[in-house]
Amino acid sequence: MNSKARTKFGVVVAASALLLTACGGGGSSAGGTGTPTQGGTLTFLTIAEQFNHVDPQRNYTGQDLAFFSGYVNRTLTSYAHAEGAAGAELVADMATDTGTTTDGGKTWSFTLRDGLTWEDGSEVTCQDVAYGVSRVFATDIIVDGPTYAISYLDIPAGDEGSQYPGPYKATAEQQALYDNAVSCDGKTITFKLNKVVADFNYTVTLLAFAPVPKAKDTGEKYDDSVVSNGPYKIESYVKAQSMTLVRNENWNPDSDPIRKAYPDKVVVNFAQDQAVIDSRLIASAGDDAFAVSMDGIQPENLPTVFGDDQFKDRRVNETDPYAIYTAINVKKVNCLPVRKALFLALDREALRAVAGGEYVGDFADGFISPTLALDYAPNKLPEGIQPAGNPDAAKALMEEAKTACPDVYAKATGEGLVFDHPDTPTWAKNVAVWIESEKAAGIVIKSNPIEPGKYYSVVMDPALQGDISRSGWAADWLNASTVMPELFGEGGFNISQNQEDPAFPAYKALMDEALAQTDRAAQAELWKKANQYALDQVWAIPSWFGRSQEFRGSKVGGGYLWYPYGSHNFAALYVIQ
Amino acid sequence: MARFIVRRLTFMIFLLFIVSITAFLLFSVLPVDPASLSCGQHCTPEKIAANRIRLGYDQPLIQQYLTYMKGIFAGRNYGEGAQAFTCPAPSFGYSFYRGQCVTEMITNALPATISLTIGAAIIWLTMGIGLGVISAMNKGKFQDRVSTGLAIFGLSMPTFFIGLLLIYIFIIWLQIFPFPSYTPFLDNPFKWAQALILPWFTVAIVSAALYTRLTRDGMLETMSEDYVRLAISKGLPRRKVLVRYVLRGAITPIVTIAGLDIAVLLGGAIITESVFGLPGMGRLALNSVTDSDLPVIAGITLITAFIVVVANALVDILYAILDPRVRLES
Repeated sequence: MNSKARTKFGVVVAASALLLTACGGGGSSAGGTGTPTQGGTLTFLTIAEQFNHVDPQRNYTGQDLAFFSGYVNRTLTSYAHAEGAAGAELVADMATDTGTTTDGGKTWSFTLRDGLTWEDGSEVTCQDVAYGVSRVFATDIIVDGPTYAISYLDIPAGDEGSQYPGPYKATAEQQALYDNAVSCDGKTITFKLNKVVADFNYTVTLLAFAPVPKAKDTGEKYDDSVVSNGPYKIESYVKAQSMTLVRNENWNPDSDPIRKAYPDKVVVNFAQDQAVIDSRLIASAGDDAFAVSMDGIQPENLPTVFGDDQFKDRRVNETDPYAIYTAINVKKVNCLPVRKALFLALDREALRAVAGGEYVGDFADGFISPTLALDYAPNKLPEGIQPAGNPDAAKALMEEAKTACPDVYAKATGEGLVFDHPDTPTWAKNVAVWIESEKAAGIVIKSNPIEPGKYYSVVMDPALQGDISRSGWAADWLNASTVMPELFGEGGFNISQNQEDPAFPAYKALMDEALAQTDRAAQAELWKKANQYALDQVWAIPSWFGRSQEFRGSKVGGGYLWYPYGSHNFAALYVIQ
Repeated sequence: MARFIVRRLTFMIFLLFIVSITAFLLFSVLPVDPASLSCGQHCTPEKIAANRIRLGYDQPLIQQYLTYMKGIFAGRNYGEGAQAFTCPAPSFGYSFYRGQCVTEMITNALPATISLTIGAAIIWLTMGIGLGVISAMNKGKFQDRVSTGLAIFGLSMPTFFIGLLLIYIFIIWLQIFPFPSYTPFLDNPFKWAQALILPWFTVAIVSAALYTRLTRDGMLETMSEDYVRLAISKGLPRRKVLVRYVLRGAITPIVTIAGLDIAVLLGGAIITESVFGLPGMGRLALNSVTDSDLPVIAGITLITAFIVVVANALVDILYAILDPRVRLES
């Protein structure tokens, strides 16, 4: 190459480099709240390859529910778009109110507002809601979603589940069974339930009760793209790449009291590297200033983000809906002094430190998360509880157990209590804390690691479950009706095996009363009572109430952890112009 | 020449047939039950059994293979009634894990990989051959030592290290580039290039090193040939001798290797795509293996094998065009 050509080439390279770096560098990483305004493109970054599900009847993870209910799918009722405890309030969405029941909760009616439209401009009808709910019954196609419609609706059961097989296969007679349970009268939809469900108006906040237009239902493929009745519609969805939402021109803001639809466009970029997401948001350069992480913050970056005040307006550290606890198999450890001793001896401080420290959660005093604001009240802990454990108090209880329940005492101090836990490096460290802290009280703990994918199928089998099993739970909607009956009543997730405990009948009576109580405030008092009762019986040992951290770019406002779903309130986020 | 091409293509088809049978047999003996991956989290034994029939996994192996191969040419239907859907030809199956036809997943992933491959290939060939020429022309001198040193450096560095180093220097420290976020070329060519420039150089730095050495050694060998000395002694310009005689003689093995390198890269640059978050074939393959998504793994295996076999055949044909001795010997 001669010198003239060399010069030309050099200029071209330099110019290209300058051009390509045009939008690259600099940018303030300081945050700000700004004033909510319309406009701009909000970008979400996630390590996930895709959303678990887009089909509303199959959508069951908290973050995905928050995303789609904020942008695409409306439901009869929803939650207030507010920070903290105010976000726990049930509000009307598509319905004119939060529902009415005239027979104490066995029949519920909701009347649709005027002006509800699909993205093609057609009206959202009562029949669309009925059809959407009916899809839940097609359990061979509509998988992974919540099945409360099947559990609650007054449709006779068959040999293998409901007699109604869903809209794709139902005969005329079978369809009539469903139509009898879910009926439309003009804009009013009525649900007939098979039992009293006092908080059914909370149940219908789930997207499983969202409408679907029958003519646009594509069965299994509906999970690729849904019809919107919210402020945005799906413009494109390429798994492992991105999803783009644009404004739904046919959304009527007058019909929607809760969504403000700030950004012009919403983009989700999938399959990002977690470390890279954190770095991008910390730098917040260029377009990254308008980005939000959907996956929290990596543990090693927490000190950076929370230790530097330049990020104070861009970070969130808040209680999430998860209550982490350790269930005790009451059938096998049928001795209250031993159960109390296990609680008293446990070094919860060391346990939390091993799990990640204060960012992981706050020490729990029960099983109802504070995010269930109406139903939560601080519990009175057993006498002598200390965060780092109280082996002396535990030993005293074990002495009591020696005579009160000699068999359980002998097992706990001799052969040992079997501790079920997932076979992961984190849990190997956790169980070591258990072994050491219980040893100080003379209690022997034997580790039983279980392959993570099979964990719950083992511990939920009474024939296979050990004596102690780690677990965690979050309410399906903001009512402890999906917590206390599930964990310690006759619900499906009771791994405490407490039904034969002498204290159980009183608890069951409390459950029955609470589930039938339609006065929300009165119901909340009953849940608080149940929470204290379960703690007093030590059917499980509470560990901590989870905390989640969220982070966003310097030009994104409106960020907070929304109590209903423990994620961003996506609908509240806006681009700071 | 025509007979050579026909023979080559015939052998290619035969090879592809063997690869398809081998891949199919391998996946059929794996201890993963594809039916159990087809029905979400709440999968009951009854649902798995029903899906096994619905997806044809209850059929004899030969029938499954024939159905699979038919799908490649004629598309494939799944389910019935409201559950029915079609994966159009060429169908490499359906991923129930992701709820997508495998062909669609590969089609979505290919543009990023093709973009990465072509750009990186242009850079590494330019850099590699360029440095190799400089090195050969200045054998034993400073330029030769520097080129050789750079080649060794490039060869010794792991790809992920180079990628992370470039990210640190140009994105985090100097903040010259934004973090790469792949944009399709047709959407925005500028952003497309901006997102790929660091991945291009990541792949190119490692690959160029090999081509520097190949070019240098090939040229030095060719320069010692009698016909080159004759050309010089006849007074031909140095540049003409270099390009027409020396480089042409040295280029044929480089073409062969470049063709195969490009073909393999089109199957996915797993590490580079993972480091830079590029939604290409490499990352698709990695995630499919992690998730035991057999239909996708099988589809990628066949596509990659197809690309490599075709590339190999094309390289052989090109080699015959460049070097008449090859087609005469054949």
